[in-house]
Amino acid sequence: MKSDVLNQLQKTAIFKNVSDDILAEVAIKASTRKLVKDEVLIRKGEKGDSLFLIHDGWVKIVTVDSKGDELIINKCGPGETIGEMALLDGETRSATVIALTEAEVLELKQDVFEEILKQRSDVPLAIIRSYSERLRFSTTYIEKAIDWSQKTAEGDYSFVEQIQPLVEGAGSNDDKAAQLLSAFFAMVRRVKEREDGLKQQLEKLTFEIDQARRKQEFDEITSTEFYANLKEQAKALRQKRAQG
Amino acid sequence: MNKGKIVSIHSFRGGTGKSNTTANLAAQVAMTGKRVGVVDTDIQSPGIHVLFGLDETKMGKTMNDFLHGKATIREIGFSIGEHSSGGEGRAKLAGKNLWLFPSSIRGREISQILKEGIDFNLLNEGLQKTITEFDLDYLFIDTHPGLNEETLLSIATSDILIIILRPDNQDLQGTSVTVDIARSLDVPNLLLMVNKALPKYDFVELKKEIEDKFNAPVTGILPLSFDLADNASNDLFSLRFPDHDWSKALRGVAKAVLAVE
Ligand SMILES: Nc1ncnc2c1ncn2[C@@H]1O[C@H](COP(=O)(O)OP(=O)(O)OP(=O)(O)O)[C@@H](O)[C@H]1O
Ligand SMILES: [Mg+2]
Repeated sequence: MKSDVLNQLQKTAIFKNVSDDILAEVAIKASTRKLVKDEVLIRKGEKGDSLFLIHDGWVKIVTVDSKGDELIINKCGPGETIGEMALLDGETRSATVIALTEAEVLELKQDVFEEILKQRSDVPLAIIRSYSERLRFSTTYIEKAIDWSQKTAEGDYSFVEQIQPLVEGAGSNDDKAAQLLSAFFAMVRRVKEREDGLKQQLEKLTFEIDQARRKQEFDEITSTEFYANLKEQAKALRQKRAQG
Repeated sequence: MNKGKIVSIHSFRGGTGKSNTTANLAAQVAMTGKRVGVVDTDIQSPGIHVLFGLDETKMGKTMNDFLHGKATIREIGFSIGEHSSGGEGRAKLAGKNLWLFPSSIRGREISQILKEGIDFNLLNEGLQKTITEFDLDYLFIDTHPGLNEETLLSIATSDILIIILRPDNQDLQGTSVTVDIARSLDVPNLLLMVNKALPKYDFVELKKEIEDKFNAPVTGILPLSFDLADNASNDLFSLRFPDHDWSKALRGVAKAVLAVE
């Protein structure tokens, strides 16, 4: 299990440039916590002093909207990390985290983490490097998103077709940025569809049937001998069928 | 007592989508497990076999042979369930109880029968035989457009008549005559279906307007679709693209057919 933890730590953004021997030490110092369904793991507004790695089960990250209703921002499952910023800034939690199922999480306390930082002077630098990479990446996305938002506001949706395949093809090493982008593109597409729908006001068709012509054609067909016979036959047929 | 129902599909003008509708309706009804037959009575310009992936090389005995006393109904029934080939949609019919009774596509046989005329009692007998010999729940009849004699016969014998129309004045005018004829021939169930409707029209209004005009239910409004025009003859569209709007509306018509007592 500890090797799973190591694996997970390596994938966590802030540890990206931290060497494996240190991560192994971090892994050892993490403690296991079991959650029952609906148990609150993190409460919004509390002081944050630990990071959690989800080992098993699912949690939801929720906030409260303006009407006071619970709003699920995200769901996280095995292999995902929650609250990593708390290790560095110790700020209050920005959202509440509740177990969706029974779950098992590993907790890494800020003080344990700081112990390690003190012992190894190369660790802070590695973390700063990870963060600056991430920041640069996010900044690029934010700049793009600003540009696309302006275009959308002007009703120019051409970028969706041009850029989306590139973005999807390129992949991204930041899940959240990728999520934002895909949500953004979905939004723009919906807006465009709705706008097209409104433009295309439904038309109403009106018909006129020429009743004199209708009667004349009916009379022409039904006045033949063939038709008279057919009508008789059909009648007989239906009677026979009705009797079984 | 519980005999199969004859469902004729008709339209006043050509090219309204009778063959496509007939084939897809028959396929949808067969998918529900019913025993289904499809007869092509469009002897002048047969076409429905194409939708089931049948060509001249695969076609055996035809309705023309039956009308000439050269084949029995048994011999004509081509099992689609056993030969569902070519096309992802058609493949879904494998193992289903669905038979096609095609018309000849040989020019000589067509002109021969048109010259000699059709023996209506014989054709009628043939239709009844498909039902009894194949123990059918439903027999779908694809007809020739207009109100010629063999079409009048298929209307006269049908338990359910589906009239397909396009939403325009000319079709409505022609349909009005067909509706009157169907009533005069005591067709017990008259259903209307609109095909090739431009999406810009308000379908709800359209349905209401047509129902008011004819006092008969509009069981589906199927949109004009380039996807269908593109794919129609390669496969059975509603099986191949079940989520398409055309297919959804078609299933509504199938449901209306199945709902008839
Ligand atoms: N809803 C639709 N949208 C677009 N094309 C359609 C639609 N329905 C049918 N078609 C196309 O219209 C043509 C005529 O269809 P189909 O052969 O089914 O009509 P039909 O009434 O049987 O014609 P005919 O009177 O010649 O026998 C075909 O090419 C078919 O693909
Ligand atoms: Mg046809």
